[in-house]
Amino acid sequence: MRIVHYINQFFAGVGGEEAAGTGPELHDGPMGPGRRLAAVLGDEHEIVATAVCGDDYAAGHPEFAAELIEQARARGAELLVAGPAFTSGRYGLACARIAGAAVAAGLPALAAMHPDNPGLAEAAGAPVVESAETARGMRPSLDRLAAAVTKLAGGEELTAADGRVGAVPRINRRAASNAAERAVALVLTRLAGDLQASEIPLPAFDQITPAAPIADPAHALVALLTEGGFVPVGNPDRLESARATKWIRHSLEGHDSAEAGTFESVHGGFSTQWANAEPNRILPLDVARQLEREGAIGGLHAEYFATTGNGTTVADARRFGVEWAAELHQAGIQAAILTAT
Amino acid sequence: MSGGAAALSDKLCTEMAAETDLQAHGDGLRRLVHDVRELALGERTSYSSGRLTVSTSEAAALVSDPALAGVRLACAAPGDAVRIVAVLDAVQPCTKGPGGGGVFPGFVGPAMPPGRGETHVLRGAAVIAAGHLPRAQEAVIDMSGPAAPLSPLAATHNLVIEFDPAPQAPWEDVEAAVRRGLLRVAVHLADAALDAPPDAVEELPGPGAGPVGRPRIGIVTNLQTQGKYKDVFVYGRSLSGGLPTVISPNELDDGAVVSGQYGHPALKNPTYLHQTHPVVAALRARDDVCLAALVLCPEPVGQDAKELVAAHAARLCRALDLDAVILTKEGGGNADADVALKMDRLEEEGIVAVGIFAEMAGRDGTGPPLVVPPTRATAMVSVGNYDERISLPACDRALGGGRLALVDRPATDALELPVAAIYCALSPLGWGHLTCYEAAV
Amino acid sequence: MERAGIPTALLCNLVSIAVRVGAPRIVPTRGIPYPTGDPELGPQQERAWRRQLVERALVAVATPVTEPTVFD
Repeated sequence: MRIVHYINQFFAGVGGEEAAGTGPELHDGPMGPGRRLAAVLGDEHEIVATAVCGDDYAAGHPEFAAELIEQARARGAELLVAGPAFTSGRYGLACARIAGAAVAAGLPALAAMHPDNPGLAEAAGAPVVESAETARGMRPSLDRLAAAVTKLAGGEELTAADGRVGAVPRINRRAASNAAERAVALVLTRLAGDLQASEIPLPAFDQITPAAPIADPAHALVALLTEGGFVPVGNPDRLESARATKWIRHSLEGHDSAEAGTFESVHGGFSTQWANAEPNRILPLDVARQLEREGAIGGLHAEYFATTGNGTTVADARRFGVEWAAELHQAGIQAAILTAT
Repeated sequence: MSGGAAALSDKLCTEMAAETDLQAHGDGLRRLVHDVRELALGERTSYSSGRLTVSTSEAAALVSDPALAGVRLACAAPGDAVRIVAVLDAVQPCTKGPGGGGVFPGFVGPAMPPGRGETHVLRGAAVIAAGHLPRAQEAVIDMSGPAAPLSPLAATHNLVIEFDPAPQAPWEDVEAAVRRGLLRVAVHLADAALDAPPDAVEELPGPGAGPVGRPRIGIVTNLQTQGKYKDVFVYGRSLSGGLPTVISPNELDDGAVVSGQYGHPALKNPTYLHQTHPVVAALRARDDVCLAALVLCPEPVGQDAKELVAAHAARLCRALDLDAVILTKEGGGNADADVALKMDRLEEEGIVAVGIFAEMAGRDGTGPPLVVPPTRATAMVSVGNYDERISLPACDRALGGGRLALVDRPATDALELPVAAIYCALSPLGWGHLTCYEAAV
Repeated sequence: MERAGIPTALLCNLVSIAVRVGAPRIVPTRGIPYPTGDPELGPQQERAWRRQLVERALVAVATPVTEPTVFD
């Protein structure tokens, strides 16, 4: 089987953080971890090309996936393999995205990362197998990935026994009775003593490891973020009022306050009358500027980021978080204030 | 006895006679059902043997208001290649006839609790308002095709009211005029069937009636209270800022709860579904349970108020001696918090709690299904994943607007939409048959 | 954000949700439609309240935490 292998700029040897903005490129044959993967896979499979993209570029340009998939197809790819991404968030996101996009485009794909990788939830239907936490576990991770490739190439589904991780898709279907009737039936089941019955499993949210605190806000660059649908009046970027699939950024330079008539909220989940009468109620720019002038904040980031937290999928929200973090890292921002509605 | 006293006594006797008539069904409600199998516009509003004819001029006159520049009427029947977009609200035609006390209290009838005596309903018909309002999220009904089985209003013969706002009219006035007009037309249509022999006569006992020993099951129905265009009315008033209240489920049949909430198309509870509350219907349909009470609760926006309402609702349920409660919501993830908190408080009171939830698991269904699950309670019914996509074929005719702004396409085009845009597809009141299952790995 | 190493103060009203989803630094606010305001106050008091919230947020991002922590 002809395989295209996706890795990031670091594993391709292009460079570290300084090269994270590198755009998508396809190289002939295996590179970096792909060499060992090719060796483990043996003669039946061939890594015909290696797709490479910088992590920041991939986080900020979701279209990198479609570009690389097209190039992979041009090389006759029959399977796309991404990673292993270990616990690296942006790399994991990129692996998940390209694998998910490949599957959606009809090209079988497989990614590998640690189960705690925040990118895992973005794999959208593409299978993901477990890898170690760090590149120190590269060897066993590649062994597992190679075994999964072999199985997938043989037309078999991957299961937990293969190290498959990630959510199992929940699909809509029509039940025999309506939800109200099923609710009554569930009441009777519960009253009869079955304390487990439920149509929805209790979800497990990912554990968030808190970041280390900043030493002193007076010497820190701080960003203002909001999920309050906060936009310049007229909403030039057309941020959605519900089910947001994107986020927007807008300059705060020259703004001493979030003036009514300059900013507004397009959030569709609550009455925006209070926000629009006084937009500082969504983005506390007036007092943040005051604190900046007084020296309590080292400096405010020149732009704010906003999305609309209203029916937004957890996957999209997680993606916004990863993208925001990447942006803020690059801009040298040390802390953030996020208002939620 | 003085003359005055005698007259008073006569008056009392007359009133008592009237009361006796009422007591023919105690505190219950007699529902006289007239089936509608055909709907057409015509000269005069009339009903005969399943055929409902609507006078365009009479109906338009009922909607007419200084805030509206124009009103148009159209019919849409199940199976038609018709798409209704920008759906605002839907109402089942009903009436109590002259002297019956009125339906839709606070809007058409006086603001007093209804739910007793007799009510005529036109089953299989609905009056729908469709058009633009600020903050309304575009809702779609396909009368045929793959989305039709997902909407209760694709199975009814619909009189669709479209409107043009008057120039300069404040949107609040436009909204109020449309809502009032919709309800008036619904009564007007049912009035046409007052003298027709009913297809069915249904006796709906008052709450808690029936033999002892059956589990006492209550319903907690949360009503959205988020300000203009996101509010629901009980006897014509918003529950915003208030506490839970207990009403007879039979009052719903008489339109005690009217929707003025236009967000979250798939997760919306139109007046129609309050009138035909699916959980009320499911409990009425069984003889092994007792429909003991209906508790209406506001869905406040603040955490403190959410917790207060949840705790108070649980106390009410305890005082009503309920064994179990089914909880319903209106709206998105924020409204899940209201259900989850109440489920937890109910379980603490020793009352079994079952919540009806929509899943928000992303387009491919791999995200966590719930943003705000309960912590103590665990019994949940799923009405499906709201992010899954559905493909709709092109259709012949669109009502409610020419374009679908959501996808910026002509409303009659073939479209791919999230289930979230299909009107009532994930009915939080439990109308739908959708649920989720885990795809095999 | 936090996972990526940027301490982030979450100003929100639905504290129970924030705690449940594991947000490490939470500053409670008074209402969903106005996280950094309170229309029931006069303009001066409201601005003072907003300042208080942002100051709490600055305390939050400068404080080490190991689990969801509410700063109020």
